[in-house]
Amino acid sequence: MTSLQKSRARRWLCTLAAVAALVIMLFPVYSIIVGSFESTETLFSGTFYWLPHAATLDNYRTVLQGASGSTQETVTGAQSGNVLTSLIVGLGTALLALLVAVPAAYALSKYRLRVTVVVVSSLLVAQIVPSIVLATSLFIVFHWMHLLNSYLGLVIADGTYAIPFAILVLRAFFFSLPNELMYAARVDGASELQTFRLIVIPLARSAVITVAVFAFLAGWGDFIFALTMLNGTGIEPITLGIYSYLGNFSTDWGAVMASGVFAMVPAGVMLVVAQRYIAAGLTAGSVKG
Amino acid sequence: MNATTGGAGARRLSGWRRHEFAGWLFLTPAIAYLLFAFALPIVYNVMLSFEQTSPATIAHFTAPYAGLANYRFILHDPTSRAAIVHTFEFTAGSLIGQFVIGFALALLFSLRFPGKTLARSLIIVPWLLPLIVTGVIFRFMFQAEGGAVNQLLMDVGLAHHPIQWLNDPHLAMWTVLVANIWLGVPFFTLLLYSALQDVPVEVKEAALIDGAGPWQRLRLVIVPIILPVIEVTLLLGFVFTVKVFDLVIGVTGGGPANATQLITTWSYNLSFQVFSFGEGAALNNVLLVLALICSPLYLLLSRGQLRRSSGAEA
Repeated sequence: MTSLQKSRARRWLCTLAAVAALVIMLFPVYSIIVGSFESTETLFSGTFYWLPHAATLDNYRTVLQGASGSTQETVTGAQSGNVLTSLIVGLGTALLALLVAVPAAYALSKYRLRVTVVVVSSLLVAQIVPSIVLATSLFIVFHWMHLLNSYLGLVIADGTYAIPFAILVLRAFFFSLPNELMYAARVDGASELQTFRLIVIPLARSAVITVAVFAFLAGWGDFIFALTMLNGTGIEPITLGIYSYLGNFSTDWGAVMASGVFAMVPAGVMLVVAQRYIAAGLTAGSVKG
Repeated sequence: MNATTGGAGARRLSGWRRHEFAGWLFLTPAIAYLLFAFALPIVYNVMLSFEQTSPATIAHFTAPYAGLANYRFILHDPTSRAAIVHTFEFTAGSLIGQFVIGFALALLFSLRFPGKTLARSLIIVPWLLPLIVTGVIFRFMFQAEGGAVNQLLMDVGLAHHPIQWLNDPHLAMWTVLVANIWLGVPFFTLLLYSALQDVPVEVKEAALIDGAGPWQRLRLVIVPIILPVIEVTLLLGFVFTVKVFDLVIGVTGGGPANATQLITTWSYNLSFQVFSFGEGAALNNVLLVLALICSPLYLLLSRGQLRRSSGAEA
């Protein structure tokens, strides 16, 4: 074998290894999609079929129309309303994150304030705080403030995932904007607010989209705050809907699978539409020395 | 003459004041949010842990002082103690698995091969799914009857009867661990991959010329260079793993017989299933201390971000 052939063979060997890794990393996603098209009989037959076996749309029909579950004591609710709830929570979290984080990141990067070190340290530490700690206290605080079972309460709680991250990512981006831009705007007579609104925000568009995508996914995928702050009588996001299908003794697998697929849709859409922003956010989230 | 320079100076001063005022204005919502959504719950959690709570006291915001009773409960409650031990096992196992697999994949991706870009963008899929969905998928795959894992093992002849992954207390912990490793591998891969990209080509070539084998190049040249990133990645992995909640609820719900109960899931149980908020808060504080132990190290490693604080000015 010539060395050229050898190196080509080695490259294809790498491809093979990467394919094997991807099969393992993507199989769980594949299995839920296949499972979502299986009939209840197949799902409870005790055999897993590697390819769809007698595919049906029944599970999606159940999940969308809210037919009464045969195995559950309670009537399994329609997930279509829950999808809407999750959308509102996701968008609300993105909106809150932007409203709080964009100006804060600007202040922490382009103004010389005495509190900057304290605030940035607090943000780094805030990312460490476990959500269950916040959920326990916020439950009682929200109970007292009548914010349980409300969109506002849930969005404020979900902001804890997104806001510290958003401020740090945007701040890193604002450092890359030359200060001369701000000087020039000021010389032209723009006020501080005008400079921010007309010069800084338009330039920060890509970083803002990155942050909004992540905040949306955090609100959409939140489970712990929904579980602790909603009591099932009012709004219910899709994550909580999936959980309610998991019974103690029997699980309505068809409904779990189909709603699970619905819950994965935004991630799939983002991966295709906003791939660039996701890649930027994933690496920006980490600390860089 | 004097009057004009004086006037200009005064105007510049007031301009600076206005500038600083605007900065504070931009920062105020974030400070208010941090105080309300982080500082208040943390302080209140400490208060709760010293209170004698009951379902009736929830409405009153405060409850009678209980001294160390809640902490004494945690110390003697077998499930709380087991949950703390499980959290350590779970965290250590996850980090080892995630690092080894993530590093291997990062090395793979740093080679050139057909389909590399596509593979790298698909590998992050697990990261974007809601955690509860990941949890129920693993519950589905590891079912004894009709689960993909047992089906595979029986199809290839490695098992002759279904393995009780979720019902056997020892195996259940392994199952949860596998799920969490799967979840964390993309993060490790991506961070370590970008660190490997930053290793200068000259350094690698020099090692090659000096006759270093692949293993020596990795151990003596590459690892020392990317060590700071490895440290940060492990630290972030630790912080993510000690607070895992959704995933375990999805896979096992803490069972069977509390075998996969972590601090987070057991704290949820104490506060929201039996409404002993004081006991839940005490367990929360154990978790908080565990998580915050690394914060000085974390701040030290992110000193780059902090150092820039005094740099720029508009």
